[in-house]
Amino acid sequence: MKYFLLTLGCQMNMSDSERVASVLDAAGCVRVETEEEANFIGILACSVRQKAIDKVYSKISKWNRWKDKKNLVTFISGCMLPADKEKFLKLFDIVFTMPELPQLPQMLGEYGIANPLSLSAEPQSPVDEIKLFWKVKPKYDSKFEAFVPIQNGCNKFCTYCAVPYTRGREISRPSEEILEEVRGLAEKGYKTITLLGQNVNSYGLDKNGDEITFAQLLEQVGKMGEEIDSEFWVYFTSPHPKDMTTDIFHVIAKYKCLGKQIHFPLQSGDEKVLIKMNRKHSVSKYRESMVALRKILPEATVFTDIIVGFTDETDEQLENTRKVMEEFKYNMAYIAMYSPRPGAASYRWEDTVSLDDKKKRFAILSEELAKHTYEYNKAQMGKTIKVLVREEDRKAGYLSGHTSGKLVIRFKSDNKDLIGQIVELKVTAAAKFSMEGELVTVNQEAAL
Amino acid sequence: MNRSRKRLNLHDILEVRHLTDTSFIIRFEKNDLEFTAGQHVCVGPPNGIHTREYSIYSAVNDPFIEILVKEVQNGLITPVLKGLKAGDSVVVEEPVGYFGLNNTEKFNKKYLFIATGTGISPFHCMVKSNPGLDYKIVHGVRTAEEGYEREEYEKGKYTLCSSRDTSGDYAGRLTNYLQDLKIDEELEVYLCGNCNMIHDAYDILENKGVPNDRIHAEVYF
Repeated sequence: MKYFLLTLGCQMNMSDSERVASVLDAAGCVRVETEEEANFIGILACSVRQKAIDKVYSKISKWNRWKDKKNLVTFISGCMLPADKEKFLKLFDIVFTMPELPQLPQMLGEYGIANPLSLSAEPQSPVDEIKLFWKVKPKYDSKFEAFVPIQNGCNKFCTYCAVPYTRGREISRPSEEILEEVRGLAEKGYKTITLLGQNVNSYGLDKNGDEITFAQLLEQVGKMGEEIDSEFWVYFTSPHPKDMTTDIFHVIAKYKCLGKQIHFPLQSGDEKVLIKMNRKHSVSKYRESMVALRKILPEATVFTDIIVGFTDETDEQLENTRKVMEEFKYNMAYIAMYSPRPGAASYRWEDTVSLDDKKKRFAILSEELAKHTYEYNKAQMGKTIKVLVREEDRKAGYLSGHTSGKLVIRFKSDNKDLIGQIVELKVTAAAKFSMEGELVTVNQEAAL
Repeated sequence: MNRSRKRLNLHDILEVRHLTDTSFIIRFEKNDLEFTAGQHVCVGPPNGIHTREYSIYSAVNDPFIEILVKEVQNGLITPVLKGLKAGDSVVVEEPVGYFGLNNTEKFNKKYLFIATGTGISPFHCMVKSNPGLDYKIVHGVRTAEEGYEREEYEKGKYTLCSSRDTSGDYAGRLTNYLQDLKIDEELEVYLCGNCNMIHDAYDILENKGVPNDRIHAEVYF
């Protein structure tokens, strides 16, 4: 059985797709690169943007036409709103939620597809199901970068977001499992490990004291890093400002393997917009955390997420966001123009800010961001920094990678063996969103 | 409760109280759900796929859970909920939310609870769950019949502002009442309900010197 898997959306879906591939491989299926070659085709859907949902409908319409000419079984999973899921039941052969993944071999069996896997125990609740899902060993797509899910779901109910309706409530993965997976990856030589979840720093809170906190989890990972010979960097995404505590920053400062890059979503720098977004934090609370972050981790880079043009946002409110960007000098901001997302509470509100205004506001914040990123990058010139080489650069004869602060840097080299290795580069040039450097040293592992 | 009902999060309805033509309280089995005052639950019809968030109206220690619902014309959920009766079931997801009192300090503080419409729910829960709480409620509605079970609150602690009739304690908009109200800067202020009211009240409170870390808001949508 040849299968093709199309993954839409975020890093969480990418991580989920590694577990889907693992289950299908174990069931005797073989992954192929194109949908034309496959007789078992699936999508990991994303409900965050309408475009992604439109793509699902377009693909299934095509695949269902192919069924006249060849044997084909289709499936869908990932982030699905209840209303979409109901429609998908009529369009796809198999529809399952990600926690139901361990039962996929059984579902395949119902289509007459023999496979060696079976699970007889019927899960009792979403909590039990997600626990079984986490026990699936993923087949990592990369040989040096991996994602480790630590938590699933969201209790925050931001009005612009559909995640609480697609992934359910926050459930923390047992810390022993997380630590085992992280250790396995680090010992195999993985260079970056990203702890994933919709609200990573709410980790453990759903267990009412029966699980360690996020800071304690990081501490365990940090200690593990001290015991393991090879260098690796551990990141996390996404945290929520409501549950951000300074002990997290103190732990990151203490251990070398904990990446000095913090993704810290702001969404808006205006108090009233934050209320309307139901963000559960104020600008003042966010500022307190940022002040602590800068004090405890002065070398850390800080990334953020911002939405412009949210329902009823005024120019003055946008200006408040720009001022916050000016104050915190982010190293990167993922700025999105607001679009109502089906399933989210704000979908029921009028989208009052015109596309033209959204574009103008996007440009204002992009310009503000670039001022600070350029200044920061210029200040790195002449410094020697560690870089994980990730891929060939678009510029011929160059490779590119990330600093431990996840800033993009490229350097002249055609030695592809360096990809996946940590090297030292001297920064020689700076642009708004990237830097250029020259190779100083290559570690022992890469040189061999 | 049998396993399949538990898995489907089905709770039996114990009682439905119709307060006005469009507002009603559904009381359903608590089963093993625990919550803190101010939290909400997602509730939906038994055979549907949709739920909506409702703040819990009843007290933490009550042996049941109650939600206060306002029917939305042509809505997907509320007209169905309105038609349910005792003995029917509703889907109830576990309580969540962060709108609540600081448990360690709650009896050392004074509270001003400001609500519009069914936004009174979390405050009803907080008051009933914490006898002895030092609070005042300002409730904004269109007509006085929306002063849901106002007799439940202690005398002098509840002010009903009705904007379209004169049967409340104050005839006019809640925000007009707030403009004239003397507000102690030490108060912890909680806002719940319509977003426009919350924004307007927020401005008024800031102008009266209430720092924003003492203003807590829960938007209804």
